[in-house]
Amino acid sequence: MLKLGLRSVLAHRLRFVLCTIAVLLGVAFVGGALIFTDTLSAALKKNFAGHPADIVVSPVVTLKNNPGLSNARAATLSSDLASRIAAVPGVAGTDPQLLVPGGQILGTDGKPTDAFGLPTYAAGWPHDGHTATFRLLDGKPPWGQQQLGIDQPTAKREGYEIGDQVKVITPAKAITATLTAITSPNLSGTSAGAPLITFDAATAQLLLLGRPGWTSISVAVHPGQDVATVSKAITELVGKDVSVRTAAQVSADAESALDDSFGGFSAVLLLFAGIALFVGTFLIINTFAMLVAQRSRELGMLRAIGASRGQITRTVLTEALVIGAVGSTLGLMLGAGVAAALQAFYKSLDLAIPGSNLQVSVTTVIACYAVGIGVTLLAAYPAARRAGKLSPVAAMRDDASVPERSLLVRLLIGGFLLLMTAILCGAAFTLRGLPATILLGLAAALALLGVVMTSPLISRYAVRGLMSPFGRKAPVTLGRRNAERNPRRTSATASALMISLALISGLVVIAASAKASINQNLKDTIGTAELLVSADEPFSSQVGDKVAKVNGVASVHRVRQMPGDLDGNRITVAGVDDGTIDGPISTRFESGSANGLKDGQAVIPRNLARQLKLTVGEKFVLTTTTGKQTLTVAGIIAPNRQLNAVILALPTFSQVGGGTTDTTLYVEVADGTDFATVRQTVASQLTDYPTVEVRDQQAYAQSQRQPINLVLAAIAMLLTLAILIAILGIVNTLALGVIERTREIGLLRAIGMDGPQLRRMLQVEAIAIALLGSLLGLLIGVLFGMAIQNVMKEDGLSVLDIPVLQLAIAVVVSAAVGVLAAVWPSRRAAKLDVLRAIATE
Amino acid sequence: MAIRTSGLGKSYGTTGDTRVEALADVSLEFGKGRFTAIMGPSGSGKSTLLHCLAGLDRPTAGQVMLGDVELTRLDEKRLTHLRRDRIGFVFQAFNLVPTLTALENITLPLDLANRKADAEWLDKVITTIGLQDRLKHKPSELSGGQQQRVACARALASRPEVVFADEPTGNLDSRSSADVLGFLHRSVRDFGQTVVMVTHDPTAASYADRVVFLADGRLQDELLDPTADSVLERMKKLDTQEAG
Repeated sequence: MLKLGLRSVLAHRLRFVLCTIAVLLGVAFVGGALIFTDTLSAALKKNFAGHPADIVVSPVVTLKNNPGLSNARAATLSSDLASRIAAVPGVAGTDPQLLVPGGQILGTDGKPTDAFGLPTYAAGWPHDGHTATFRLLDGKPPWGQQQLGIDQPTAKREGYEIGDQVKVITPAKAITATLTAITSPNLSGTSAGAPLITFDAATAQLLLLGRPGWTSISVAVHPGQDVATVSKAITELVGKDVSVRTAAQVSADAESALDDSFGGFSAVLLLFAGIALFVGTFLIINTFAMLVAQRSRELGMLRAIGASRGQITRTVLTEALVIGAVGSTLGLMLGAGVAAALQAFYKSLDLAIPGSNLQVSVTTVIACYAVGIGVTLLAAYPAARRAGKLSPVAAMRDDASVPERSLLVRLLIGGFLLLMTAILCGAAFTLRGLPATILLGLAAALALLGVVMTSPLISRYAVRGLMSPFGRKAPVTLGRRNAERNPRRTSATASALMISLALISGLVVIAASAKASINQNLKDTIGTAELLVSADEPFSSQVGDKVAKVNGVASVHRVRQMPGDLDGNRITVAGVDDGTIDGPISTRFESGSANGLKDGQAVIPRNLARQLKLTVGEKFVLTTTTGKQTLTVAGIIAPNRQLNAVILALPTFSQVGGGTTDTTLYVEVADGTDFATVRQTVASQLTDYPTVEVRDQQAYAQSQRQPINLVLAAIAMLLTLAILIAILGIVNTLALGVIERTREIGLLRAIGMDGPQLRRMLQVEAIAIALLGSLLGLLIGVLFGMAIQNVMKEDGLSVLDIPVLQLAIAVVVSAAVGVLAAVWPSRRAAKLDVLRAIATE
Repeated sequence: MAIRTSGLGKSYGTTGDTRVEALADVSLEFGKGRFTAIMGPSGSGKSTLLHCLAGLDRPTAGQVMLGDVELTRLDEKRLTHLRRDRIGFVFQAFNLVPTLTALENITLPLDLANRKADAEWLDKVITTIGLQDRLKHKPSELSGGQQQRVACARALASRPEVVFADEPTGNLDSRSSADVLGFLHRSVRDFGQTVVMVTHDPTAASYADRVVFLADGRLQDELLDPTADSVLERMKKLDTQEAG
């Protein structure tokens, strides 16, 4: 039977081409994702092969997923602690370190250097170079505010050499100094590879912290002493507010943090790979169903000469195994190729990530083959089983056909799934909020499956209606009837497109609603501040001081932000100048007020108040980078895009760990002055700070929408693959249909159908499939997009926006895609020799 | 004269031993309003001759003239349109498009040409085949004989200059065969249609006005006003000639 299966694949290899490509693309996605993330993480892990110290003492991390850049004050340790640790028996010496995120190196053109999204770090030069997490490569350590060091990749990129004047922006101020040291990038922890600015220790404390202190203490242990014992002794000395880790633990922590972040990255890629494979499954199902139908005579003959049912089924499954294995092998190769290309691209960026060979792990190979072969076998199984049920007499009959299960079973399963969908939707609408969107996501998946199950029935009625605008000319009627003649095939082909389009249109509706909601909210919260000063990262408080001195500026209100945690909810904590939320930002109070926002008081957004059941006057515990604080609710505000945060007065913000840098400045322009002039003057005052942008309200709103566009573009790109496979599915169905209907096409050609009419006939069939799939997908996607907007009404998606034009374009494009999909099959059909076609057995 | 061939030849392969001559130097005329049968043993070239006459195959020598049009000179597209507009077909089997009803199958060549059917003529044809009550049925709901009668009606629907029939009764029982042949005969007698039919069945040939005999790709003989017996006799004679 294995031989028969192999022979059959070889004999019908052309018919399996698209099937193999579908497996290949899906597996390539899986393989590419795994190989690339493995390779990148292996490369990054090389960086922290080991911390140079024996033991590292650092402040306890109170916030998980603490983003590097915020207005939070860096948690520090004192020099005193370092000397006390030095006194612990077994300790050979201590060396305090200072390393904080934030800062910018300016290029020779005065513009900030682009480190491809990696935040720049700044460090103080340690007493003992051996315990630092960076190394001196050239020059000598900097001394004072007139000297600094930068990392080699940045220096190389920007063409800086020892002795050059380099301008950097620190949290305290902008500084121009002589380059005396070229160092490696930071080499420790998750920030490995990031650009680095270095000063001598005292200067670093002044510029980076604004106060004395260290971010960690490297400890060397006497040779011969047990590191674990010494570590334990230090732990007893420093208490529970300080963490004490051995170098091995530091490396392990960094590796697991890296694995976490890569885990998320590869999970997203694998999700898209899963979608691609799922869509591809329909193509495989169709291919095998059609091949079994076409070969029913041959299979019936095998039964007649004594092959058992199981043997027939196994023959077909063997074919699937071969296709799966071939597709997986090619897919794995393509995946490795793509990963290599991505890696080469990353290398070309010169990120100072040491190169690593492509990491093709055994797990990856096994996963690729398991997925590729598994999916193919699973998709081929229904056809294989039906082939086994073929009666031996079938070989004798002219119109031998493979028995098909009645659509009733599918209808029942589909109906059950749709019922479950309705129940989940009902639950989601009562629950509301973010958790409800997860229920709706599940419901959408069930709805798609339900429609897939019932779609043969839908297609039976939908095709005629959809195609009525195309007229009733003979080729159109023939094409339409071809689409109607096998509802399973048509609907399976359309389902692939449906799923892709449902995902895209759902996301389009959500994204458009998000944008519209931001717009609406920004409009609602525009206060008296006409100018907004902001940057991608926290900027020096000197910026605000400069702006305040500009003629025509009536007032400057500072807003600072940092991450926090409230009962396990990750939130933003904002510190604001007095009066900021009473005018410069327009805020609607649901209860309480901001009047005299005193020490220990907070204004919180409505959704947070509801979730935590907090009312005005009640107390809550806020966790920040520096620890826990108890605060009192002074007011509850309606959702506010500009300040979606727990809002504190600046003094309180400082008490709970806030630093001295600013996030945004809200600037009021004095009455009777020219707005444009003031704006220009403000901008001209800030030339020292090239990262800082001065915007009016309009431009600010635009900048807030930007991230959504980026996310949407990325998702669309990934889903394009799914659409591509769906289109391949249409091509596949048409091409196999042409082979199956060779005789019929020959007859049509004989009685006078010309080439263009033949093409038209196939186009109409393709358009019918494409329209069916895209309209169903659009319907489901838009409905669930609307549902998600509805349950998120209170949580940021206040406005529903259905971008009709974009969605209409999607439908028109999918019809056009149908036309394209028909090109190759109709070319094949036109090439059929009429005489041989009508003579085909 | 409806259709005429002169020096028609069809050979496969190019040189020497591999060269196979399916037709050689066939010159024939088929009169208007006549029913002609082409007979011959398998491999005699009778089907090839029919395909060349009908513009489905290209001869390698000689000419085919349909009226004043030389088929051999037409390109693929013109040939297709000529088949659609001026020629009718009845094949041995698989004559109908399964997704279309009987009536839709009958009018298909007209629909492909964007021409309107002549309602009176269509009525007459449909009445003659006697399937008025089955017009809405799909081919799978019709018997083999009924399917062939629908195919005949389709061949006549556009009032073509010639109807070509390739073993139209090859798959039918004798009752259904008689129906189909009777219909072709009547279309010649009553409507003045020109019919050219390939068959190997003497009874079928006896419905024709004239029988031409083919062997080894060459014209051997012809017979006017044939009966089943006279056809059979002539075939035997040809066989013995071959053997001798």
